[in-house]
Amino acid sequence: MSAPVPKALWLALHFHRFPLEVFDAVDQPAVAVEQHLVACANAQAEILGVVAGMRLSGALGLAPGLVVRERKSLREAETLDRLACWAGSFSPHVSLAGPDELLIEIGGCLRLFGGLDVLCDLIRNGAVAQGFSVHMALAPIPLAAQWLARAGRQVCCRSPQSVRKHLQALPVDVIGVSRVEQQTLAALGVRRLKDLFALPSAGLARRFGIGLPRQLAQALGEAPDLRREFVFPEFFVQKLELPAKVEQAAMLLFAARRLLASLAGWLSVRASGVAECDLVLLHDDGIADSHLVLAFASPTRDLARMERVLRERLDRLVLSAPVTDLRLEAVTPVLMPGSTLGLFAQTSAQSLDPVIERLRARLGKQAVHAIEIKNDYRPECATLSVERTEFTQTQHGPPRPLWLLPRLQALQERDGALHYGGVLQRVAGPERIESGWWDRGEKRGDTQEEEAAVGDVQRDYYVAVSVRGEWLWIFRDVRGWWLQGVFA
Amino acid sequence: MSVVPLPLDDVLLRPDIWRGDRLAGFDADNLSSNFAALDAELPGGGWPRGALVELLPGVDGIGEVSLLLPALKRCMEDEAPIAIIAPPGMAHAPAWATQFPLARLLVVEAARDDIAWSVELLLASGGLGAVLAWLPAKISNKSLRRLQLAAEGSRSLAFMFRPPSSVQTSSPAPLRLSLTGSRQGLQVDIFKRRGPPCEKTLLLPVERPLPWTRVRSELPKWPGRTRKPQLELVTK
Repeated sequence: MSAPVPKALWLALHFHRFPLEVFDAVDQPAVAVEQHLVACANAQAEILGVVAGMRLSGALGLAPGLVVRERKSLREAETLDRLACWAGSFSPHVSLAGPDELLIEIGGCLRLFGGLDVLCDLIRNGAVAQGFSVHMALAPIPLAAQWLARAGRQVCCRSPQSVRKHLQALPVDVIGVSRVEQQTLAALGVRRLKDLFALPSAGLARRFGIGLPRQLAQALGEAPDLRREFVFPEFFVQKLELPAKVEQAAMLLFAARRLLASLAGWLSVRASGVAECDLVLLHDDGIADSHLVLAFASPTRDLARMERVLRERLDRLVLSAPVTDLRLEAVTPVLMPGSTLGLFAQTSAQSLDPVIERLRARLGKQAVHAIEIKNDYRPECATLSVERTEFTQTQHGPPRPLWLLPRLQALQERDGALHYGGVLQRVAGPERIESGWWDRGEKRGDTQEEEAAVGDVQRDYYVAVSVRGEWLWIFRDVRGWWLQGVFA
Repeated sequence: MSVVPLPLDDVLLRPDIWRGDRLAGFDADNLSSNFAALDAELPGGGWPRGALVELLPGVDGIGEVSLLLPALKRCMEDEAPIAIIAPPGMAHAPAWATQFPLARLLVVEAARDDIAWSVELLLASGGLGAVLAWLPAKISNKSLRRLQLAAEGSRSLAFMFRPPSSVQTSSPAPLRLSLTGSRQGLQVDIFKRRGPPCEKTLLLPVERPLPWTRVRSELPKWPGRTRKPQLELVTK
């Protein structure tokens, strides 16, 4: 017996302010125009009375401070592709529908995300975070979901009966028929889909062509409706043209987040993660591109983690020249199988990785490290600073101090006694360390520290206690007495 | 509306209530410091998790880290890593490796302004067993309060080393200790805790590289200049 196949459930996303929102998020009245006609207005503009289809001159009369963007269909297509990549975070079955619509088949992944409501919230919040207004509708039939979303009905139909019920109330213009056909329908007294369903399909086919009755049948699930799946690109290199030149790094955040969201979705579809991605900042012609490498402590496809590192890096970035475009490249994606959900709330070392990469993003890669033993007798050379280590054994050895001083400190010798805030008492020693004859070191100048830093050493080490109770690690060489470490 | 008063005795039995004149009872969540004398004076019978512990050593090298090593080793047992932030010297791997696996040690070298931010981030992550941080001399009370809040949300041990001069200033940390070195051991003075003031100074024989008995009252002579180590090339 085979496992039951989950029922298809299509989530339609209709980005109803798409022509405008492909540019950026504006906090003031704004419109996208096409041939001097308003194609799309944002909420602030709508409050002032600007609606789609209005002439630009009329709109400017209503809202003098209106931000006007020339509609760019190429940019819209690119943005929709990027959104399709992002939708890969939720389901691998994504299909492009129309210039401003996406269809996601989520029937098979409800359980993974913890239910329909959770998943819908995730998707909505994800779209809103990228600055897109969206209407969502759910139906077992793709076309029905699309029409419901287009009409702004945020409903969830699980059965064909409820699809028919909800579709009946929709206005006819959701079908997307031409203006002439709309007028014909209006003349027939057809205002809602209910009226259309009541008409015989043969008559409809004669008046409007075969397309209309077929669409109606598809929307009701009576005719097959096959959708072409979105093909995720083989390599992730995405470019985003900024609406205006940007001179401050913080203003790149919004655009860069759109790119990262797309990367995160692309990575989930490929079951991969990246340890590094390269955000290229393109400047005007003739100026070399700047690279902002986002490095993560472990391969990841977690958008929140990537965004934190991005924010940290942008906070400290000073732009050398105005930026015109952004390009995001996933350098080397590595296969990262999904993790099994824990039965209990578990905390593990894994949870530290996001913190480590945030620290590294702010303090520098070298500043956050693990330490490892290097087999070298010279104390200065015995510690290696590494990104991470697998040293899991504790070791035994002669007394060694927890801290080494960054520089050797000369000790004063008076009347046969050493002084360091008082007379020093010898507790152990000497321990002879002679090593490094092969390593000449660089002897620059006469400063003693540099000479003593590396190279051939011949030292007698002692443990000493000061009057203040400090336990110190000191040594003597041909030049005198030195303090090298403290037993903290 | 009338409020039924809770019997005071019932309230006093709650583990998060303590009376000013006595120490909080034993708390199983606290980690024993491995020094019976110290545990007896610490509220809850050990180092508290999820609270800032301020340590004010007079100078470095008196055993201020060794005092914590037993507790750190124990908290390593549940595989939780330890972070060292802005240490006063370079961590010497052979010494740390004698204490615990190096894979569990994270060193963060932060500039003065970034220390508090790093500590807060690490404490808030909740993934650490312990955080040892050397805070800058000038740190605002506001940042300390943020650290205390971050610590409260986690189960980490949070040891903050501060210069001895900060004895004078107030701090939101519920436990503050001043440490002084001596030739007999480490003197610990608990000058702030949840409970009655601690009058006595504790003298703890913290683990040193060599037994304390090596420290003698009479000073042995240092080898003189005549015994300079010499390396001679021997040729046949």
